[in-house]
Amino acid sequence: MTEQTVLPTTPRRSALRSRWTAPVAVAAVVAGAFLAPPLIASAGPADLPDVTPEQLLAAVAEAEPLPMSGTVVYTARLGLPEIPFAEVSGADPIALLGGSSTLRVWTDGTERSRVALLGSTSEYSVVRDGAEAWTYSSAEDAVVHYSLDEADQARYDALATDLRSGNVPELAGELPTPQEAARLALARAEEFSIVSLDAHTTVAGRDAYQVVVTPRTSATLVSRIVVAVDAETSTPLRVQTWSVQDTTTPALEIGFTDITLATPSDAILAFSAPAGASLKEVVVPLPDAPDGAEAHDGSLPDGLTITGSGWETVAQWVGLDVAALVAGDPAALTGLPGAERTIGSESAQELIEEFMPSDGSGHPGAMTLDTTALYDQLTVEVPEGLLLSSTLLNVLVTNDGRVLVGSVPAETLRGMA
Amino acid sequence: MTTTQVANALATGPVVRTQSEGTGPLAVRTAGLTKRFRSGQVAVDGIDLVVPRGSVYGFLGPNGSGKTTTIRMLLGLVRPTSGKAWLLGEPMPEAAGALLPRVGVLVEGPAFQPYLSGRANLARLDASDATADPRTARRRSEEALERVGLTAAAGKPYRQYSLGMKQRLGLAAALLRPRELLVLDEPTNGLDPQGTREVRHLVRELADAGTTVLVSSHLLTEIEQVCSHIGIMGRGRLLLQGERHELTGRGVASVAVTTSPHQVGTAAQVLTSLGLRDVVVDGPGLEAPLGDVAPERVSAALVHAGVDLVGLEVRRPSLEQLFVRLTGEGFDVAR
Amino acid sequence: MSPADVLDPPAPGSRAPAPVLVPQATVAHRGAWGRLLRSEMRLVFGRRRNIALLSGLAAVPLLLGVVLFVTQDSALGGQGPGFVGRVTGNGLFLVIAALFMCLPFLLPLTIGVASGDAIAGEAQAGTLRYLLAVPVSRTRLLAVKAVAVLTFVGAAVLAIALVALVTGAVLFGLSDITLLSGTTVPLADGLLRVAGVAAYVALSLTGLVAVGLFLSTLTEVPVGAMAATVVVAIVSAVLDTLPQLAVIHPALLTHHWLDVAEFLRVQVDWGVLGQGLAVQGAWVAIFGALAWSRFTTADVTS
Ligand SMILES: Nc1ncnc2c1ncn2[C@@H]1O[C@H](COP(=O)(O)OP(=O)(O)OP(=O)(O)O)[C@@H](O)[C@H]1O
Ligand SMILES: [Mg+2]
Repeated sequence: MTEQTVLPTTPRRSALRSRWTAPVAVAAVVAGAFLAPPLIASAGPADLPDVTPEQLLAAVAEAEPLPMSGTVVYTARLGLPEIPFAEVSGADPIALLGGSSTLRVWTDGTERSRVALLGSTSEYSVVRDGAEAWTYSSAEDAVVHYSLDEADQARYDALATDLRSGNVPELAGELPTPQEAARLALARAEEFSIVSLDAHTTVAGRDAYQVVVTPRTSATLVSRIVVAVDAETSTPLRVQTWSVQDTTTPALEIGFTDITLATPSDAILAFSAPAGASLKEVVVPLPDAPDGAEAHDGSLPDGLTITGSGWETVAQWVGLDVAALVAGDPAALTGLPGAERTIGSESAQELIEEFMPSDGSGHPGAMTLDTTALYDQLTVEVPEGLLLSSTLLNVLVTNDGRVLVGSVPAETLRGMA
Repeated sequence: MTTTQVANALATGPVVRTQSEGTGPLAVRTAGLTKRFRSGQVAVDGIDLVVPRGSVYGFLGPNGSGKTTTIRMLLGLVRPTSGKAWLLGEPMPEAAGALLPRVGVLVEGPAFQPYLSGRANLARLDASDATADPRTARRRSEEALERVGLTAAAGKPYRQYSLGMKQRLGLAAALLRPRELLVLDEPTNGLDPQGTREVRHLVRELADAGTTVLVSSHLLTEIEQVCSHIGIMGRGRLLLQGERHELTGRGVASVAVTTSPHQVGTAAQVLTSLGLRDVVVDGPGLEAPLGDVAPERVSAALVHAGVDLVGLEVRRPSLEQLFVRLTGEGFDVAR
Repeated sequence: MSPADVLDPPAPGSRAPAPVLVPQATVAHRGAWGRLLRSEMRLVFGRRRNIALLSGLAAVPLLLGVVLFVTQDSALGGQGPGFVGRVTGNGLFLVIAALFMCLPFLLPLTIGVASGDAIAGEAQAGTLRYLLAVPVSRTRLLAVKAVAVLTFVGAAVLAIALVALVTGAVLFGLSDITLLSGTTVPLADGLLRVAGVAAYVALSLTGLVAVGLFLSTLTEVPVGAMAATVVVAIVSAVLDTLPQLAVIHPALLTHHWLDVAEFLRVQVDWGVLGQGLAVQGAWVAIFGALAWSRFTTADVTS
């Protein structure tokens, strides 16, 4: 009864291995589950019929706006100092200056649409319905209603059929969408640029052609703009703007991450000011001609001069009170063309001032972003003045109060100052 | 081990399997059981416990000698570094699920949820036992409480129990169900003399009913009175084990002879001629380990040689003497 | 188990074989799981400390509501982070404001306390060795503990939400709810959305529960496990604010907590919510496996 067998000792290594096999296996499965879908998605797109750049541009220009909804991610890598814009101010268009923003887009393809800029617990919405538009900032619970005066409204209704073909007047500054960005990039592309095609790609799960717009000049900061165009509907799905300074990632990128081609429900496209929200009415004049852009060029406001053309264009203002502007004084904006377009911070600013008369000391509490400090942080001193330098755009504020803006190297601006 | 006990054990164990492993009639068996903690300390060093069924096995050893660690390995709480253990013929910890309900335990003192009453604590342990019949749960708890004399205090939160009451509740938990094996680590710790006696009584009663009891204790006198078997641990090793009356019996007894001073030399010669060695002479007295020699032969030979026998005594070592002799007398723990 | 070893005949010569000494069948009864779980629930919810914790959490919306009610006509009325500013207009927002207030610290603390108790607490009390010797299989014990902790955390979220709902209704009244998108939806829809918020908050805590349980298996000091759990939540939240770590943000435990705001947008994007829950699921899977590996192999020396 006392006979014994000497049992082999279990090697420590194998005990350890068996002990942690389960978690390691689970971790591997989890990693696989999260990494596999993007890998599969990034597999090459199906073969698409060959097209020429011209055919593609024509297709984009002719494409009917489609009813659809989707999520858009906008990423700016402008080389500005890292500022967590989204954290500072919630869902506010200023967040588009840096980092990554998510927008949701709904449109019925004609004249009703909603674009929402998402904050973590807030939202900034732009809703358009024909000649009317609303913006709603959840952080401030504030509505701005843009509309035409009665005469213009009558004119709009008369012209409705014409206007509804897509040329909706510029009522209010908008949140960017891939379609809008593509329209700007492709508008007069061939005049100053070379247009070519790149390899096919997949955006938001849809096969797409890629149009590459390369400036003919090398005197600009833009190296190229790449537009991904949906092969089936010719809708632009993604626009990447590459800077000459960074060849690995685009400086600006806006594109769908998911897209559904269906008419959004009426509840989403409808808007009425919620009870309790502050409401501001803005009456916008209807431009004389439907294609208002040309009209603007003809009559430049006082103090604004344009030099160069195409990619090398430099705009120059004189007599602007920059210090007051960055301090948030809306009065300083009056001379600035297109001031109404900066709805985000500017209209919010006015709203705040309605409730809290400014004591001139600076900023009301609700607006936590210190714009003066931000300005100091963003600019560097040069002999000619202060320079705000980004990968796509340079702004020079000279000591004598002129402002030069251009998508050209800083040296060019300094040479002009 | 008596024949009846062996037969008994053979009749109850899972005969075929256990016999092939040679552990059939044993309640506890270990083979080369070793525990080296991560600190590098070898707490238990290759021990081969043999606890026959129906025995009361006194598991002795100074502080830190590895008793509790051994018991933890038997119950599957601590994983042996090497070696194997069988309880009631089944391998541990592989067979724990079906086996441990047949084993009642008290390890390193009682431990219960302090804010639950004694009764609720027992109910919790009972509810944790998948093999316990939920319909008879209440009866089991009440019987166990009754058995340890705790019925009156069963409603009090455990936090308010005295040391002895806690110990009794621990015993009640060990006795929640009929057990074939009880493993009791220091069961009398903290009990008053009355309680100590009751525990001794309980152990004897359980053993009489066929339960094997493995009991570790420092109170040697307690153990000595109830144990049928003894194992002595020291520095992680099992120094000695076997039936108590054998360990404290003939093999280790010595004979002390007192005679007149001038006959001491003759007496010493007689003892040596009988084969006794290491004869120690002290005045008129002589002492020598008996070995295999029967005491009657010693007295007869002395008388035959004409030695005046003033006195003759067979001295058996007490358990305590044995313990001290094996484990050293120092008070400090070994490690 | 062979039937042979079910009965042990009394040893010969025994004086009075006690009736209890007839060994019983060691066959698992049906419903054993449920029995253990009920017993564990009684333990968790019967503990006065835990009830005090739940009451404390439930007091948060009560306090918040009263403070907002008293100050609503002062200069500070309608101000505050998150949804606090909207509470005075619609009591329904008190539920959301209170949950947001408890999310960064108080709820992780609750998880820490409950999961710290679960394993480390039993180890410290010494009851773990007796449970395991009953025997309860370690896997089953861990599973029951996990369910109990999850239930407790769920109860905490529910307590906050219900007290907030009642307080909000009494102090400010419930009305149609204005979403972040500026759209106003009927009260019934609003109630559903708020229920969704509470459910999502509860589910987004599951990852931290798994982490807490794993930490609890590492130590015999429940306070240590509790503190470590809270630290994990806070460190995760801090990492989430560092733009340099943007790459790992989507995988962080706390990153998707605020996605709950999705319920307050005009069109709820279930993909976003699903992504958040998938990340929690990943944490649960990995740390559940870690806790299981650790707990089923560790020496119980307490
Ligand atoms: N978890 C552990 N880690 C490292 N060493 C340990 C651990 N537990 C016990 N030991 C060591 O193992 C040895 C045996 O301890 P054990 O508790 O088994 O002794 P014991 O015989 O029960 O002592 P006592 O009579 O005092 O209860 C001691 O030296 C102890 O320090
Ligand atoms: Mg001990």
